[in-house]
Amino acid sequence: MSNRYLKEKGIESLLFASGAVAVIALFLLCIFLFRDGILLFSEYPINSFLTATKWYPTAEPAHFGILPLFLGSVIVTIGAVIFSVPLGIAVAIYISELASPKISNVLKPVTEILAGIPSVVYGFFGLVILVPIIQNTLELPTGQTALTGSIMLGIMALPTIISISEDAISSVPRTLKEGSLALGSTKWQTIYKVTVPASLSGISAAVMLGIGRAIGETMTVMMVTGNSAVIPGFPSGLFAPVRTMTATIALEMGEVPQGSDHFHALFAIGSVLFITTFIINIIANYVKKRYRFNL
Amino acid sequence: MPENYDNGTEVEVRDLNLWYGENHALHDISIDIPKNSVTALIGPSGCGKSTFLRCLNRMNDLVKNCRIEGKVHIDKQNIYSKDVDVVDLRKRVGMVFQKPNPFPMSIHDNIAYGPRIHGTGKKNIRGVVEEALRSGALWDEVSERLDKSALDLSGGQQQRLCIARTLAVRPEVILFDEPCSALDPISTSKIEELILELKKKYTIVIVTHNMQQAARISDYTGFFLTGELVEFDKTEQIFESPREKATEDYITGRFG
Repeated sequence: MSNRYLKEKGIESLLFASGAVAVIALFLLCIFLFRDGILLFSEYPINSFLTATKWYPTAEPAHFGILPLFLGSVIVTIGAVIFSVPLGIAVAIYISELASPKISNVLKPVTEILAGIPSVVYGFFGLVILVPIIQNTLELPTGQTALTGSIMLGIMALPTIISISEDAISSVPRTLKEGSLALGSTKWQTIYKVTVPASLSGISAAVMLGIGRAIGETMTVMMVTGNSAVIPGFPSGLFAPVRTMTATIALEMGEVPQGSDHFHALFAIGSVLFITTFIINIIANYVKKRYRFNL
Repeated sequence: MPENYDNGTEVEVRDLNLWYGENHALHDISIDIPKNSVTALIGPSGCGKSTFLRCLNRMNDLVKNCRIEGKVHIDKQNIYSKDVDVVDLRKRVGMVFQKPNPFPMSIHDNIAYGPRIHGTGKKNIRGVVEEALRSGALWDEVSERLDKSALDLSGGQQQRLCIARTLAVRPEVILFDEPCSALDPISTSKIEELILELKKKYTIVIVTHNMQQAARISDYTGFFLTGELVEFDKTEQIFESPREKATEDYITGRFG
């Protein structure tokens, strides 16, 4: 008897330990990220870090103003949202409400494959195909712009937005749609006046997670946005090169002496990035839970 | 079948057959449903009564592999003929479902939903909403909180809201698909009172599992069994001296 009990307990603790690994990993990650980030502020005032408009890490004296990088991330992300949200929601509506089972059985796996492509491949595609197209059609001095990054990130965020919105739209009870149709509304009126509003919390969660995906993406943006650390204007900044927080870390981490101010500044950027995506994820979870059907 | 109704016939069904794929769900249904009265459809689960009800506003169009033959005339018009606009038909033939299904929006917007899609302007909407809620016997309970979510209402109130929502598009016929099966006895009696009130203006067809309910509120009753309409007559006739053995067995509780 005690043998069986021990076995049960053993398995239970093993599974608990596996679960704990994820939590511990996150915890350690936070500690190291924040610890090295905070070290910057013993040498460089936090005020200047957050508000200065210049990022010249190797100048004398060095400037570690995160603002151009942060706004670079923001403008690329906004562009990605403008591009991917309407498209993603439209695809989700089509898959869940309009497409025949045959078509949706093809579309769904295809969007999932989109999520599995490595980001460097997206970056390569962007660099070789999209950059020249943008440069030529808009007659810009360079095709490596925030807009290029936005489009690529938009494509990369699509699978997240599509699959989560599609879940939300499909979970609207059939009785609700029938209620609308029975009042003499058309299929389309039912979709945009009942089904979509009823799944709005799920759709917003999808959008938030899509934003989270876009803001954290590194390789692709680094390859297509030109990486010049200037504060972008809006919307004119869309058509000029920008540099994001993620790209900065990736570009500079290899060359920076360990323990220097520059090194700590990169960790501070990492902390800001971490906090930003953390907040976005919390918002996404909150809107997802806020509304549930009990029909 | 009873002949010559006082108010005339509203729905005339002849030789209606329905298949779900290979499954022959309704067999040669013919029935005349009288105007401005309550017609109850009873029968055991799976007998086809709800399926039949859904033929009357073409809700079965939404079911894949569903095939229908026969004639359904509502107010002299064949609703399955090619030139019939389904949207228009459903405006004339409203439906209240088994489970209350208010939209996740305010009470006011739930009622206004139908009139708005059918083109009622901003100016008139307030009046239409009030009138519908009054007819749905819900106005006194909700007039102070029209902009609150309909999902906060009780089950019985939600069902009356759904009835009022149907009334707001001014149908001729209202189909009730077991409207009280998810409700408590008090809410049920309120809905029954309401149905008796509504029959003055509308033709009502109600599917119910509850035979006492059919006996209490209906003028005519049809008994369905395995996809066939076994008997259709005045309600007293059906409950007091049914002509068919199967009807009697069902009503006296010997099966079902």
